[in-house]
Amino acid sequence: MTDKEIFEQLAQFQKQNIPVCLATIVEAAGSTPREVGAKMLICADGKTYGSIGGGCGENQVRSASLRCLLTEKKPALIEADLTDDLGTKGGDVCGGKMLIFVEPFL
Amino acid sequence: MVSMNIISRVNELISNAETFCLATVISSSDDRITPGSKVIIHKDGTIEGGTGHKETDKSITDIALQANTQQEKKLLEIKAGLIVFFDFISTRAKLIICGAGHIAIPLARFAQEVGFAVTVIDDRPDFASQARFPECEVVADDFITALRSISLNSSSFVVIITRGHEHDAECLEEVVLQPTAYIGLIGSRRRVSFVLEMLARNGIPKGRLADICTPIGIPIGAESPEEIALSITAELVCVRRKGIGQAKALSDAVRGMK
Repeated sequence: MTDKEIFEQLAQFQKQNIPVCLATIVEAAGSTPREVGAKMLICADGKTYGSIGGGCGENQVRSASLRCLLTEKKPALIEADLTDDLGTKGGDVCGGKMLIFVEPFL
Repeated sequence: MVSMNIISRVNELISNAETFCLATVISSSDDRITPGSKVIIHKDGTIEGGTGHKETDKSITDIALQANTQQEKKLLEIKAGLIVFFDFISTRAKLIICGAGHIAIPLARFAQEVGFAVTVIDDRPDFASQARFPECEVVADDFITALRSISLNSSSFVVIITRGHEHDAECLEEVVLQPTAYIGLIGSRRRVSFVLEMLARNGIPKGRLADICTPIGIPIGAESPEEIALSITAELVCVRRKGIGQAKALSDAVRGMK
């Protein structure tokens, strides 16, 4: 999804008073699946729009976003390490690291 | 928390095809500045939104304006304990394909697929038809009139693949002195040097002619129209992501190996 589509969707959710989390890759090092600035929207029911790179780190971001939406209710900075053992076993094998900013729009 | 207002403004600006910086506070050790607060910085330095802290808004604006030429999205600690993400929002890059022949069809398709907004122009209405180029803007008119109806800017890509060198030359002459991100010209060495010499004779500066990508496309040994379109698309992506220098270096390196 382009930035345009992401922001349009976000505005749509706001208009309908549906809480949603915006996740943005703010830093990337090594081999990562998407570039800095890539964005994804995550709803409280787990539904997502756009992508920050599929399996690679996306699950980490999804759970962090749900936490941010449902309990913390404030922005958070997530580090997705795509080099760790856990990630590699889970199939997150891109080999890089990324920082993702997740912010709730409640 | 971010007000609803700023997201609607972002949407308004995007639909007006404006390019701007969207700065977001990522973390702050100062309680007065909330993470998530956003500042829109326009090219002329005017701002919307804000961190609620004037001095901080000022430093964010200064950095955004400096970064504006490169438009590199990045995370910066602008002062101790205050980290800001600078995002640059721009609408899709525009690709103008001059010449609606057999390469244009796969090229329009591939380029759309990788995110370009494609316009195809040709003076033959049978070729420049909506049916041949679905979801593209199509202009069937003589090349000069068609090109003059399109406004070019520094994010415009122009591929010149008309049916003959006279048309190539007139298209090139029309766009070469305008701001563009990329101009690619198809043709054999002979045909290309003929066109370039003609333009040089017409007073186009040599330096500007050197920016034209020709032979067009990343050398992947393309033969069929689809393969050539793929090679051109690869070059467009390379220029969009890494700049013209890298695209030229890549092509030169491969061609130098021969």
